[in-house]
Amino acid sequence: MSTHLPARGGDTEQVSSPRPGGATGGSGLLLLPQPKPWRQRASRLDVTLSPYLYIAPFFILFLVIGMFPLGYTAWVSVHDWSLLGGKGEFVGLDNYRKVLDNPYFTKQLVNTISIFVISSIPQILVALALAGLLDTQLRGRTTWRMSILLPFVVSPVAVAIIFGSLYGDRYGLVNEVLGMVGIDPVAWHTNRLASHVAIATMVNWRWTGYNALIFLAAMQAVPRDLYESASIDGASRVRQFTSITVPMIRPTMIFIIITSTIGGLQIFAEPRLFDGTTARNGGSDRQFGTITMLIYDFGWQLRDLGRASATAWLLFLVICVFAVVNFLLIRRLGAQGGER
Amino acid sequence: MQTSKTLKTRRVRLASSALMALTLACTAAACGGGSDSDGSSADGPTTISVATFNEFGYEDLIDEWNASNDDIQIKQVKVGTWDDAKANLYTKLAAGSGLSDIEAIEGDAMPAIMAESDAFVDLSDPDLDGRWLDWKAAAGTNADGQVIGYGTDVGPESICYRADLFKKAGLPTDRAEVATLMGTWDDYFAAGDEFVAAMPDTAWYDSSGGLAQAMLNQVANPFEADDATVDVENPELEAVYADVTDNVKRGLSSRIPQWSDDWTAQFSNDGFATMACPGWMMGIIEGNSEGVDGWDIANVFPGGGGNWGGSFLTVPAQGDHVEAAQEVAAWLTAPEQQAKAFAAVGAFPSQLEAQDSPEVNEAVNAFFNDAPIGEITAERAAAITVQPFKGPKYSDILSAFQAAILRVDDGSQDPGDSWDQFLTDVDALG
Amino acid sequence: MSRRPGFLVYGLLIAFALGSAAPLYWSFLLGSQTKQVAAQGTPPLIPGGHFLANAQRALDSIPFWKALANSMMVSTITACSVVFFCTLAGYAFAKLRFRGNGPLMVVVIATMAVPTQLGVVPLFILMSKLGWAGSIWSVVIPWLVTAFGVFFMRQYLLDAVPDELIEAARMDGCSQIRVFWTVAVPAARPAAAILWLFTFMQVWTDFFWPLIALPPDNPTIQVALNQLQSGYFKDFSLVLAGTTLATIPLLVLFVVAGRQLVAGIMQGAVKG
Repeated sequence: MSTHLPARGGDTEQVSSPRPGGATGGSGLLLLPQPKPWRQRASRLDVTLSPYLYIAPFFILFLVIGMFPLGYTAWVSVHDWSLLGGKGEFVGLDNYRKVLDNPYFTKQLVNTISIFVISSIPQILVALALAGLLDTQLRGRTTWRMSILLPFVVSPVAVAIIFGSLYGDRYGLVNEVLGMVGIDPVAWHTNRLASHVAIATMVNWRWTGYNALIFLAAMQAVPRDLYESASIDGASRVRQFTSITVPMIRPTMIFIIITSTIGGLQIFAEPRLFDGTTARNGGSDRQFGTITMLIYDFGWQLRDLGRASATAWLLFLVICVFAVVNFLLIRRLGAQGGER
Repeated sequence: MQTSKTLKTRRVRLASSALMALTLACTAAACGGGSDSDGSSADGPTTISVATFNEFGYEDLIDEWNASNDDIQIKQVKVGTWDDAKANLYTKLAAGSGLSDIEAIEGDAMPAIMAESDAFVDLSDPDLDGRWLDWKAAAGTNADGQVIGYGTDVGPESICYRADLFKKAGLPTDRAEVATLMGTWDDYFAAGDEFVAAMPDTAWYDSSGGLAQAMLNQVANPFEADDATVDVENPELEAVYADVTDNVKRGLSSRIPQWSDDWTAQFSNDGFATMACPGWMMGIIEGNSEGVDGWDIANVFPGGGGNWGGSFLTVPAQGDHVEAAQEVAAWLTAPEQQAKAFAAVGAFPSQLEAQDSPEVNEAVNAFFNDAPIGEITAERAAAITVQPFKGPKYSDILSAFQAAILRVDDGSQDPGDSWDQFLTDVDALG
Repeated sequence: MSRRPGFLVYGLLIAFALGSAAPLYWSFLLGSQTKQVAAQGTPPLIPGGHFLANAQRALDSIPFWKALANSMMVSTITACSVVFFCTLAGYAFAKLRFRGNGPLMVVVIATMAVPTQLGVVPLFILMSKLGWAGSIWSVVIPWLVTAFGVFFMRQYLLDAVPDELIEAARMDGCSQIRVFWTVAVPAARPAAAILWLFTFMQVWTDFFWPLIALPPDNPTIQVALNQLQSGYFKDFSLVLAGTTLATIPLLVLFVVAGRQLVAGIMQGAVKG
């Protein structure tokens, strides 16, 4: 996506730079009266400096609020650093070792991934199907589109409270309804898998419509004549969907999967508010504790910023690995789909 | 395309200006209300914020103060649970700003707060000597003799019970008779066996965690030796753990985490029949039991007396109005005020004079079947023989211990594994 | 796929639409019951008459108006800031030639993958040092610019502003900044509006950092809701009335600007 721009920038620079006083470039020089030397210089300065002036505010702010924290987290993570006492001794990778040795790290990492997988796979499949439904000649298109986007404006905290009231282990609506059809009550806050499913439904409710709209946009960009020729060849609609639509929107799928990975692996509000225990670490046995909750636990409940920072960096590494794996996986799947 | 874009822009501009207007309106409202502005302006009153958790019963007291004081106004900031309040307290202590002028501290956490004495104002005031029970005053004073917190209430434990459910189960309902059933923990559990045999859908007590905490308050050194070294592998603690986890099998526990949504819901759903009941718990029971008749309170606590909780008011040094804050804290914890808090939510005063006052002594609670709660709570306070040693790590270890019990309670681990995990958790406290 | 949808399609869409709205209805439903009925788990499906009373109690329990004002301020300030700085930078990346354009853009894209959690510890230390912890500025600062904003504006401006137009303006003797104001800014408006909406919503719904940074008497809406939910006294009717109340501002935004939101998401998708 970014490849063509530097190339184009380079070309233009080569063309324009040899010209004397060619800051304004091109034919302007022939038409305009010859500018005075100081104006030329000012104009050239304008051209060379302006871009930097435009990006400078962003980069300066970004350096402070984006890059500095990144490096500083690493710095904190190799020190003994308590919340109240501040910086202590340099301890090398000790904090990382402590975090990795803590059984909760592995457990909460697995939880995070599990919640992510349970939420994202059905979410993407349903969003695809929903986009397929919307990619028809509907009456009142915008109304339908808006109706499925509604959950997106409800904050995760509100979603967690609302769904939390449905998923009571003993007195919740979901278990009551299950009871009516003869299913035993599910221990939503105790059973590890059940708690992941409960949290995944919160995520899915909020995001499915949003992702469906993105898919829909991609679907509408697919050239319509592809379908026409497929229809002439006698391909069914479902077949058209799987062999034309899905491969054609592959880049969008990659985009959605990568962004939902970044977001999904940081999940915090939903599991924290879902937890009814006072410690709020994600259930009595951390059945649904996530990595971000562990960062909060280490940093602000156990008051150890060193371990919190180490955990944050480990989370970052996990996200990178996931992003790359997803990317490769989707590219392969997509390529196979395209061959069919 | 161009026109539709312009149209869109216009709509968005409309939307954003609407939002802008709303923002301004809200800001104006928040400021205009006056009560929300923090600190004081040149001529306006000083506002002192008081951060409390749970129920302190201060609402009427604050109205009373605000009505009669023009230069200092009190604003209460309520946080839900102590755990949430604690996380906020430490975070803002570390940040050096953001705390309320007065912060309430749960009694069990005072030893840890003492370690941060520098961050709090020394509230020593000779006029207030002798206001509190000796052990309460000692718990608010650090090793250097600085008074870090003014005591609010204490939590002498009794047993609250549902007389209506007792009746259904064929147990006695009169509070004097009920008291005879519960002299020791074994008696209490045996009565529970009888109860759950008759009423299998209702638990004997509200939560294992709550019961364990009640029992821990009778142990001299629950988690730490007298020199504050951590020692969780001691026989008394193991005995409490064994009792509570065995009861899970016997069906006495509701198997619901204390303070959770389900825990609250079971008050309205006949979920359990009894609970350990420090004074301040009465307000919580009443608040959660709307539409439920039949609560009563027995003048007994298994195994003798015990004190659960009871808090302190502290003044963080980072505040802008520490002197006014100290004045307010002293006023709120004065005997007359705490006596009123007792009437409001059952928080039993830690002030000697208040305990002797007729307002407390003769208090009767209609919700608890007209029980003489003043008399009962005073007797339960007199029965307290053990003040457990609580070091700086007490509060953190207690959280881990509660989680360990909960793991057995909700069936996610057997008692042995859960205990091992508790030991690991305690190590991880660092 | 151009085809006339049948009843099945409409049926499924209605099901989805109902599913989208149902939890909000549930929230209102519980919020309108008495405390006692709400605690039962299965309330009647018709709202009770206690919503206003419950909402009033919720307003008494948390500093709701203050939280609302804070959320409005934080979201509005950050949305405006992001739009301004990111349009400026996005324009430079899209249309101006300068050394380092390519590599710097790669940096921007790469940082989009950095989780916000990674910055929480240093942000906390920084805000403490500055003495801003507890004030809403501690929540505003981290959001002043976003890498996504730059990326989004650059992608949009790449096509939205024809190079010829810039050249022509330059030929007329416009300085770079005038070109930006007269050519790029008008063209960027639709994307800027969308970016504004997105940033507004993202900041509005953010929870992790405000939870750490803000005290209970100066919260954002999300932090206040968390407070409401974590009481010792748990009262579903009050909590859900409060939740419903807190959702209304964004619902209003949705009603007013929902179309733009839909358009923005779909547009962003094609560009991204």
